[in-house]
Amino acid sequence: MTLLKEKIFDIAISENMEEVVKSALKEIEQRSFPERKTEDWRYAKLGKILSKNYESDATDVNQVSEFLMEGLDANVVVLINGKFSNEFTKIEKQTGVTISSINEAVSNVEFKNHFNKLAERSQEIFTSINTAYNQGGVFIHVEKNVIVEKPIYMINVTSGNGMICNTRNLIVLEKFAEAKVIQGFYSTEGKENLNNSLTESFVKQNAKLNIEKIQNFSMSDRHICTEEIHQEKDSTATINTFMLSGGFIRNGLNIQVDGTNCYSEMNGLFLGTEEQYIDNHTKIEHIKSNCTSSELYKGILKDKSVGVFNGKVIVHKDAQVIEAYQQNNNVILSDEARMNTKPELEIFADDVKCSHGATTGQFDEEAVFYLQARGVSKTAAKEMLIGAFATEVLDKISIPEVRTYIEKSI
Amino acid sequence: MSQTILKVNNLQAEIDGKAILKGIDLEVKAGEIHAIMGPNGSGKSTLSSVLAGRDEYEVTGGTVDYLGMDLLDLDPEERAWEGLFLAFQYPVEIPGVSNINFLKTAMAERAKHKGLDPISAKDFLAMVKEKSALVELNDKLKNRSVNEGFSGGEKKRNEIFQMAMLEPKLSILDETDSGLDIDALRIVANGVNTLKTDQNATIVITHYQRLLDYIIPDFVHVLHNGKIIKTGDKSLALELEEKGYDWLIKDFA
Repeated sequence: MTLLKEKIFDIAISENMEEVVKSALKEIEQRSFPERKTEDWRYAKLGKILSKNYESDATDVNQVSEFLMEGLDANVVVLINGKFSNEFTKIEKQTGVTISSINEAVSNVEFKNHFNKLAERSQEIFTSINTAYNQGGVFIHVEKNVIVEKPIYMINVTSGNGMICNTRNLIVLEKFAEAKVIQGFYSTEGKENLNNSLTESFVKQNAKLNIEKIQNFSMSDRHICTEEIHQEKDSTATINTFMLSGGFIRNGLNIQVDGTNCYSEMNGLFLGTEEQYIDNHTKIEHIKSNCTSSELYKGILKDKSVGVFNGKVIVHKDAQVIEAYQQNNNVILSDEARMNTKPELEIFADDVKCSHGATTGQFDEEAVFYLQARGVSKTAAKEMLIGAFATEVLDKISIPEVRTYIEKSI
Repeated sequence: MSQTILKVNNLQAEIDGKAILKGIDLEVKAGEIHAIMGPNGSGKSTLSSVLAGRDEYEVTGGTVDYLGMDLLDLDPEERAWEGLFLAFQYPVEIPGVSNINFLKTAMAERAKHKGLDPISAKDFLAMVKEKSALVELNDKLKNRSVNEGFSGGEKKRNEIFQMAMLEPKLSILDETDSGLDIDALRIVANGVNTLKTDQNATIVITHYQRLLDYIIPDFVHVLHNGKIIKTGDKSLALELEEKGYDWLIKDFA
């Protein structure tokens, strides 16, 4: 039995680098769980998550075909309750590309050089838990000048009742390397599972990383998902997040732009129904000059769902000629749904172009009436407008099969 | 004798508890063009809104018979399926919704409602080509989002293009001339005149006589304070242009 509130962990300690695990265990002792007064978590109701007795026994999953995307030709990596599944994983060998379980990668030099280097700076207790107790994950390393031919599709399946799983991934793109990664999070039958996932990504000089993230859990599942991204000069990092279903979703996106002439993009689309809680905290830190970052999050909230968007942009003193754009638009479709949105800009340089905007409103009734007056039924008119609202974010997807999958889901 | 398309009987309507229409009587037959004129605030736009089914307005009395149906009982989309068309005074911009695709959806829904097969993609495109030429709407505008970034004139031409596509039985043009320059006005009027047959009818709501130089009405009604205070032929419009509304209102009072 694992009970987070009491810091009781009945989970095997990670097989990863001993020193790292040891210090993470110590951090867990020292740190406390966020409370309502913790600014970064103020809307999250963690009570139910922390006081739940979790299991961590392996559950069998017979097939993963339901999570495959039509027409998508990809390297498929399957993680079941956080554990790397050799049975379902299908990787096409390519020179210069390593895709393996992190447990197999422990002795790899590149793995050792990078693992936990970004996450160790985090103050979050969930990150320490992930580091100490991860059961597995994926290590992706792409050598200099190599472009990964097929997208890497990581299928994370949560199965069982009250399972806790910690997944840990590490992506390293060397100079001029390129990769497209799809992270899919799903659940089969079962309920009240907690998936705590963390991915560290290193995007080196002139490298290009694209992550498409899909979160499609059952309505009682909880998901805490953290990205730690580090960019070197001339690199590009894009991460698009699609939150389709799941009772509690918390995304923490941290990009450190530590080189000149970088481009960073974060986009997100969330659709809240029932009593869903969907929380996006993003942080982009511009350390060097001549970089551009762009952020677009859009949300549609129905029923009693709650959305949170907190976008932080930090421009360091020596980071000149920075362009940082941020936009969050939300549509509320019921009286009981709520949206909390907050842009945070901390700018210490003087030659900076920053913009941020947030809107939260209802559907344009005049547009609904216009469509109706031409013979589109009210229901179809609203669907059309939802589709139109989402299009701007869907247009950011770089893999057509992913777009089709998401369009079908909304 | 021509078929009666619309019969409005003692129609009364209010918004937020304020009475706007105070007993309108109007009969429109196939093949006719009716102009409804009146000063600002007389109830012209309320009348078109009530007929099209905008739900901010509450009908407090009277009846509207449309082709034998109780019009007030139908949802806006049902009215459209039955051949009622409202050209908006202020056409709405709808970013992300394709001008052409939404029309296709509207027509498919109508076909389904009527128990007909939807129009084929090929026929649809041929129709788009033909009808857009009528109002000189170019390909670029057709394929954009509904009215997004259209100029005032382009928006109004787009309304008439949609009208041409939907082939309505009764068209209500709500202040279609507002904000149009003379060239756009001529194009719009030409579209309306071309679409006119002895099977359909048009109601032109306007503040100014100018549009009626191009779309010649059979009847001109003057609306004041929620009532039709005078009905005449096209010469009434000219008289109003010359003398304004005051003399009529004075007479009425």
